[in-house]
Amino acid sequence: MDVTMAMFAAKRLLMALATVLVVAVLAFLLVHAMPGSPGAVSLGAGASQEAIDDVNQRLGWNDPLALQFFRWLGEAVQGNFGTSLIDGRSVSADLASRLPVTASLAAGATVLSAILGIGLGVTAAVRGGLLDRIIGGFVGLLVALPAFWIGIIFVYLFAVQSSVFPATGYVPFEVSPQDWALSLALPVITLAVGGAAFIARQTRASMLEALQQEHIRTLRATATPTWKILYVHALRYASLPIVAGIALQFIGLFGGSVIAEQLFAMPGLGQAVQSSVSTHDAPAVQGVVVIATVVVVAVNLLLELATKFLDPKLRAS
Amino acid sequence: MKLLSTPARRSAAVLAGALLVSSLTACGGGTQAATAVNKDALTIAIDSDSASFGFDPLRVADAQRQFFEGLYENLMTLQPDGSVGPGLAKEFSYSTDNTVLTLTLREGVAFTDGSTLDAALVKANLDRRSDPALSAYSAIAKGGAQEITSVTVASPTKVAIKFAKAQPGFEKNLTGTMGMIVGKTAATKSASLATTPDGSGPYTLDTTGTVKGNKYVFTKNEKYTDAAKYPYRKVTFSVIQDPQARANALVSGQADVAMLTSPTVDFAKSKGLGVSQIGGTLHTMVSFDKTGKTSPAFAKEKVRQAFQYAINRQSLVDALHKGDIPAWNALPKDSAGYTEELNVRFAYDPEKAKSLLAEAGYANGFEFTIVGSAETQTDLQAVQKDLAAVGIKMNIKMASSTDEAFAAVATTPLGYASLGWDNPVGLMYGVVLNGFTNVQKATDEQLSAATGEAAAAKDDAAKKAALTKLNTRLVESGWMIPLYESLANQGFNTKKVQQVKFAGTNAYPLLSSYAPAN
Repeated sequence: MDVTMAMFAAKRLLMALATVLVVAVLAFLLVHAMPGSPGAVSLGAGASQEAIDDVNQRLGWNDPLALQFFRWLGEAVQGNFGTSLIDGRSVSADLASRLPVTASLAAGATVLSAILGIGLGVTAAVRGGLLDRIIGGFVGLLVALPAFWIGIIFVYLFAVQSSVFPATGYVPFEVSPQDWALSLALPVITLAVGGAAFIARQTRASMLEALQQEHIRTLRATATPTWKILYVHALRYASLPIVAGIALQFIGLFGGSVIAEQLFAMPGLGQAVQSSVSTHDAPAVQGVVVIATVVVVAVNLLLELATKFLDPKLRAS
Repeated sequence: MKLLSTPARRSAAVLAGALLVSSLTACGGGTQAATAVNKDALTIAIDSDSASFGFDPLRVADAQRQFFEGLYENLMTLQPDGSVGPGLAKEFSYSTDNTVLTLTLREGVAFTDGSTLDAALVKANLDRRSDPALSAYSAIAKGGAQEITSVTVASPTKVAIKFAKAQPGFEKNLTGTMGMIVGKTAATKSASLATTPDGSGPYTLDTTGTVKGNKYVFTKNEKYTDAAKYPYRKVTFSVIQDPQARANALVSGQADVAMLTSPTVDFAKSKGLGVSQIGGTLHTMVSFDKTGKTSPAFAKEKVRQAFQYAINRQSLVDALHKGDIPAWNALPKDSAGYTEELNVRFAYDPEKAKSLLAEAGYANGFEFTIVGSAETQTDLQAVQKDLAAVGIKMNIKMASSTDEAFAAVATTPLGYASLGWDNPVGLMYGVVLNGFTNVQKATDEQLSAATGEAAAAKDDAAKKAALTKLNTRLVESGWMIPLYESLANQGFNTKKVQQVKFAGTNAYPLLSSYAPAN
């Protein structure tokens, strides 16, 4: 890696850290703006004001906001997001157990949508004609279908009617790799369908542009094998927007997994968000928001570095 | 224009096909092995996280009794026929004035922390009643409708509970979460219950298999004295909030038993599953204000009666609660106090409602506000339309916070609640006469008298007479404006589980009532 690239990476890393910090401050302020207080949440509706005040005092809720934030931040950077107001469990431990579920869902759906999307997009661009129009129509249909509806249909077909896949639940990889894959199958397919359609459109457009380039014509004139023209030269030329699209898919799927987790009863971050928001569990809400932000910012950072690496023009700038 | 030669097109097509095939196989294609019938393990799909507050049974309501029955024992137990039987207390007796309840405890009961049951432990448990977080104790805390003033250790196996006023029939309350006893460690330091149960129940928590908010795995407690009552070696509670997903889990074999909502019952039956049903939960509007403090009109009984005639319950059920039962009775159909007479007397009659309003001095109607939630919104909108037809303008304000929803009992005249009437006397004393639905302390001599008669009833006939009086008066006074009775539905895999039986009118079967199919 040359110095320019290293400088670029360092700058982007600093910006990523700043973004996480800003989000952490916003999450902290929003939690404080919510009605009620930790004492009221943890003691329930029947608690006296005196008891609530006592808990709030113990938790430092009445301290200046800046002091509270830096106290929380000091613990958070060490991986300690505090304890749940509802049941006293460690927020960090809870999130650590849920992260693999959501990550498996998002990563699986991203990979599947990339494979399907690139395959369909390349085929449409290369074959053209009727097949292009059929794929275009099919992709348009997939874009229009809501994920939860697709999930319901898949469950009906492959779990209720034929018992090919389980309708609900999640099996950790360490318990049984085969059952882990089976438990992920339907939610991953459900989440991947919309993303595959998006990537297919992106890939088709980029490939069509790539195939018009002069260097592709030159390669063809020099009798370079067709597969090499398509999958080495043209696809690499078209890869920038496709990679960006795939990364955005991952970010969207990571944040949007709550629907799949609800539909398939999976113990992921989406379920944790829903539960902690509905119970006003402030430390849990802050923890989930920060973890999700870190993942999104990290993927964005990797995307920028990958883009810079893949595009010679950007690399030279 | 064709961009590629035929071989190129062929290779592209082959690649695309290969991608499709590989992606599908990567998703675990093939057939799931048929699940063998496992009579050692039972999976129950439930609709919410019973342990969202941790494993303190006193922090939850009786809707979570079934879950906590696996981990804890009660002072008194709910019997399969719905009656009260011995539990940790093998005997009980009341003082002549019904203000002192004396329990005689079993010996040799061990908790997971190693402590054993004695009178001091029961006292330590009940002395936690001042903790406001323990909602199951709210009625026995200071100022509660069934306030306990002191708990005294009479001997190592005898404990005396003294009430602020006479509490005949109180032992029934001890069959719910209120009567569950935690071990010494937890009674002393309740924070430990956030993650670790401390009970003497038939099962213990398997922490390795448990995922908070998703599934809870119980394994058999070998120290439990009556282990034969619980046939399964392992019980898993699987939390599936979406009603259709719960039904799907039952059909596809991820659950053996599932709580079903009425709209999914036909689907389950069509797939060959068994469904046991019982009524018992009344979805009812409750007059919070009977004194006119928040809305003068509600002080008039005729106005409250007008609501009974104005609401088209059959239409409400047909449109929004298919499979449930329209209700004109405050008590459920299976209750001894249920009477068909109310169905006829208060049948839908908007003209009668208008004339009652006119007699009460509200011929031109009146306006009030009710606080709603996401769960009640559509029901309230249906009622809103019916009330508008007789001149009553009901504004629906959606609660912006839990605090606002709770505050509505004091700030608005009418509310909406779902009430289980398994213990009518307890509900009347704890909720209706002295509890949160009557913060303005309205009184009704007939209601108080009927409740007292029900509490003192010595036989079924006396109980039936008292409960019928109570039910009738609740409706004619307009303290309760019932809308519909929902059925509790337990779907089950007939190949694995015997017909599910309910304990009396309780909507949640005893955990011990599940048994493997023959």
